[in-house]
Amino acid sequence: MPETRLLLKHSGDPEYRAIAGYMAEGGYVGLKKALTMERQAVIDEVKKSGLRGRGGAGFPTWMKWNSVPKEKTKPHYVLCNADEGEPGTFKDKELMENTPHLMIEGMIIGGYAIQAEVGYVYIRAEFMDCARAIKMAIDEAYENGFLGKNILGSGWDHDIYVHMGAGSYECGEENAMMRSLMGERGMPGLKFPHAPFPTIEGLWNLPTLINNVESFACVPHIVVNGGDWYAMIGASTKNSRGTKIFSVSGHVNKPGNYEIEFGMPLMELLELAGGMKGGELKACVPGGSSVPMINKEQCEKAIIGYEELVEVGTMVGSGGCIFLNEHTCIVTFIWRTTLFYARESCGKCTPCREGSGRLVAALARLRSGDDAQKTAALRDIDELVTVMRSASLCGLGQMAVSPATSALQDFRQAVGAPKGANT
Amino acid sequence: MQTATEQELVTITVNDQEVRVPKGEMIVESVKRIGLDVPIFCYHPRMKPVGMCRMCLVDVGMKQKDGSVRVMPKPQTACTLPATEGLAIYTDTEQIRKDRKGILEFLLVNHPLDCPVCDRGGECPLQNLTLIYGPSTTRFVEEKRHLLKAFPLSKYVQLDLERCIQCGRCVRFTEEISGDGQLAFLFRGALMQPQTYELTDFTSRFSGNTIEVCPVGALTSAEYRFRARPWDLETSPAICTECSNGCSTWFDHRVGEMIRINGRTNEAVNEEWTCDKGKFGHNYLNSPKRLTTPLVRDGESLREAGWAEAYERILAVFKGGGGAVAGLSGGRPSNESLFLWKRLFTERFESPNLDHRWHVHLPGAGETVAGRHGIREVNTPIAAFEGMPAIFFFGGDPAAEQPILYLRVRKAWFRNEAKVIVAAPEPTEADNFAYCVLRYRPGSEAALLGGLTRLLLEKAGGVAGADELRQAVARFTPEETEVVTGVASGALRRAAEAMAEGFATAASRTLYNLPNGADVVTALTNLAISAKSADRFNLFATEANEQGALEIGVLPGAGGLDTRGILEGCRDGGVRALWLLQCDPFERFPNRELARQALENVEFLLVQDIIETESFHHASVVLPCCAFSEDDGSYTNMERRVQRVRRVVAPKGHAKPSWKVFSELELRMTGETPPFSAKEVMGMLGSAAPQYQVSAYDHLEGEGVILPAEGGAAEPRLALPDYDAMEGSRELV
Repeated sequence: MPETRLLLKHSGDPEYRAIAGYMAEGGYVGLKKALTMERQAVIDEVKKSGLRGRGGAGFPTWMKWNSVPKEKTKPHYVLCNADEGEPGTFKDKELMENTPHLMIEGMIIGGYAIQAEVGYVYIRAEFMDCARAIKMAIDEAYENGFLGKNILGSGWDHDIYVHMGAGSYECGEENAMMRSLMGERGMPGLKFPHAPFPTIEGLWNLPTLINNVESFACVPHIVVNGGDWYAMIGASTKNSRGTKIFSVSGHVNKPGNYEIEFGMPLMELLELAGGMKGGELKACVPGGSSVPMINKEQCEKAIIGYEELVEVGTMVGSGGCIFLNEHTCIVTFIWRTTLFYARESCGKCTPCREGSGRLVAALARLRSGDDAQKTAALRDIDELVTVMRSASLCGLGQMAVSPATSALQDFRQAVGAPKGANT
Repeated sequence: MQTATEQELVTITVNDQEVRVPKGEMIVESVKRIGLDVPIFCYHPRMKPVGMCRMCLVDVGMKQKDGSVRVMPKPQTACTLPATEGLAIYTDTEQIRKDRKGILEFLLVNHPLDCPVCDRGGECPLQNLTLIYGPSTTRFVEEKRHLLKAFPLSKYVQLDLERCIQCGRCVRFTEEISGDGQLAFLFRGALMQPQTYELTDFTSRFSGNTIEVCPVGALTSAEYRFRARPWDLETSPAICTECSNGCSTWFDHRVGEMIRINGRTNEAVNEEWTCDKGKFGHNYLNSPKRLTTPLVRDGESLREAGWAEAYERILAVFKGGGGAVAGLSGGRPSNESLFLWKRLFTERFESPNLDHRWHVHLPGAGETVAGRHGIREVNTPIAAFEGMPAIFFFGGDPAAEQPILYLRVRKAWFRNEAKVIVAAPEPTEADNFAYCVLRYRPGSEAALLGGLTRLLLEKAGGVAGADELRQAVARFTPEETEVVTGVASGALRRAAEAMAEGFATAASRTLYNLPNGADVVTALTNLAISAKSADRFNLFATEANEQGALEIGVLPGAGGLDTRGILEGCRDGGVRALWLLQCDPFERFPNRELARQALENVEFLLVQDIIETESFHHASVVLPCCAFSEDDGSYTNMERRVQRVRRVVAPKGHAKPSWKVFSELELRMTGETPPFSAKEVMGMLGSAAPQYQVSAYDHLEGEGVILPAEGGAAEPRLALPDYDAMEGSRELV
């Protein structure tokens, strides 16, 4: 199966970054169409498309849109999560740099559908090129009347602002992102069932729609071609529709972003990326470093789709697909990954703040200790991951343990081998 | 705080036991209703829940329509979970036990476990909960984190970062309660630590509370550090007498010495907070300068004497002294002492020369707020400020003068969005949450009030007898007021807008220290009456029992001299003997030169105090008296609340309670049976000043009682002060 390039179709075309080139390829037709539609009709179209959130959780996009209060009594906001920080994921970077208008158009349509007056793009600090591209695209959109007052004569006003993060992975979590945007420390706040969803009480306690860059970028296509058309892509899967960009990295010959239709076997994605480099496939982390790792056998069975990947014990996640060859030391890999989470823990809740550091220490013992130390380390890891997963406040702490748990499940025998053996 | 009866109730089950709780109540509170306790570190009932420490995890299920319970896959924090109908809570499942143990293990991973040398050891929530829920040994072999130890955040508060469990209570206290926001979390993850910004000094007026809210020994008191173990201390309830707020405190003492002061819960006054003055300002109790025995003058020097000799010398001068003797008191003696002292002067010495006031202006009976306007000077209890939609702070920095009232007003803004208007000549701490700030030039107080009165009279029509007042303030248009006071006319209009619907005035009697203080107070009262807010007018006392002295009437009698008159009399020879009761004119009287001349010239000076003062060196006889902690008695705070204090520690040396000294003097003069206890004195006070009948000791438990209003509600009267700004106020910019 080849790639199905929908979002990345014009990614290599420099002209497409400017509004003229974008509009020459049918840009902003979706917005024009949407503005002639009822707001609910736009949401229904997204519902028909079966689009699910591309940021990692795969929550149906239309349900978020639909849960924003229909009767507007106070300001509504759109927030685009462009804080792409999951190790192994770099799809939003390409989308923002090469096809910025696609995302902007999707955001404006989303803003129209939920009657927002302001949209924010929260871009991670390191993505300066993205921010520059998005800023230029926003300026061009204002010049062409797609943003600002009375957009295209519809009587509806909308503004979009760019906000840069300050280098925290945790701020990619929607709750922490809102805190950060509001000028507070980037720590997650209370969430359901302790507090209402952001679509009811988000930024400044006002309804806020939060979607990923890729999700917004899908929207213009859905509006132009219709939800039914979009839902035909990937129809072979249980409940995954459309295309998904996978950032393939690791020991492959052609690392990069590949946009594929849901339903493609994982091994075909590997083929697209030029196959393994330097040795046989040993393991794969298909959705960014916080999803469970799977071994070769599971890889061979795996079909790309939200439910399909769960069946083999992993997730689509954000699409940061890392292939590891046979010479990779799994313990070192999970130690390094977990070290990332320990350093990025915001410090708010105890299990993640203290537990992630302990996990790193235990993995270090597992890497270099003698047999007795390894056995003890494995026992410690088992116990502390249960607490971390059960008690952490946000996804960071809950998911930070998944590299360790999943890898140790599969590779326990190898891991327990004496020092020197290449595991 | 809303009570349960006003709220919708829902039924939840806790460990399969049904319980009705107010909707939206946090589960951590709900489980207490059936006698269960969920362990907590970061949760504090007076602050917004955050769910940081994860100690309070419970399993949560929802009752389904068929009666079964669907339990959520992951446990939830009880401190952030609001009660809803059909919620099923399980506080003691296998997973929960495991999680709690795990959390405690994580908390202890980097905790130094130096409990044997930690101030908190023995009263430490971390210690207690570890014993109940935690592991007994550690499994981790890595070295613990090493961070700052005993880092002085301020003169009073020391930070031990190794002990910190990052619960954020201290940070949230400065953000939510005191509002100065001086503490914040720095850094991320395991390195996260509470600190001041850029390591500046922690200068909050309420910094001491962070020591108490800290659930471990990370924040310790520099004063208390290493002075005692908690189990060696005796803890007794007491009242703080550092200012007129009258906070409830825990007085911790050991072998008769004050060791530390902590906040005690009194919902009506201080909730559970203390200010730093109240928490760290009591060292004088242990001072080597405490007076411990009566002293009498022999020539150039004072020598120790017995009480009998001192009494003889006193009676020789004061007995039948009439107008030639006088008494000046501070605002700190108890109600009982002040009452017997007044009786001693008026009935036994037959002297009308008595006063407790030290302001520049000492209004006569007809010139007080009550005399001139027919309204009471204090109307609003501290707790009632919480529900006030608009509050007008006038004249000073409330955080400095009335710290606990300030916290209450801040809470009114924080929780109930009260509009707080702050009028002061200098920046105040209330500015940062004020609805509008009126920064006037010193000296232009009356003009500012004139400008506001004019605007309010325009809005609220129908105030009786307002015509003359309207004329008097007619020239203070907002624009003219701006020229005179420097307050922008827009700000003035905004303030008047917020105050038009009625407002509570919070000012203090220190206004009488302004050169035109009497006019300013009249103008302030007019303003309240103009907005029909006389029932919320407050001119608060600033000393612990100043309000009590006013109520009891430690004031010049008919033809008597006031403070200034007494001091002038001493200087000029009209007053031969002066009794100073817990006050030092050198420190208190605005004209120090007059104070010096008075004390140097008066023939006989009696100083009765708890500590050596400057006046002490001029004394003929010195009587030691007891501090609040060494004597039974009661105090009337700024809101007219009478609260009782019991003897906590023994008096120093031969010191005696003041009321006992006065009763012994009466015994020597009359031979009648004197009162033998403070309780009896309160009974007598109740018959002399009827408002004190409610505060008989049998009723004086818990929060204390507020004195009832005297007489019927008279129609407030307006008066005409001089609204002009003081000369030169325009140049004072």
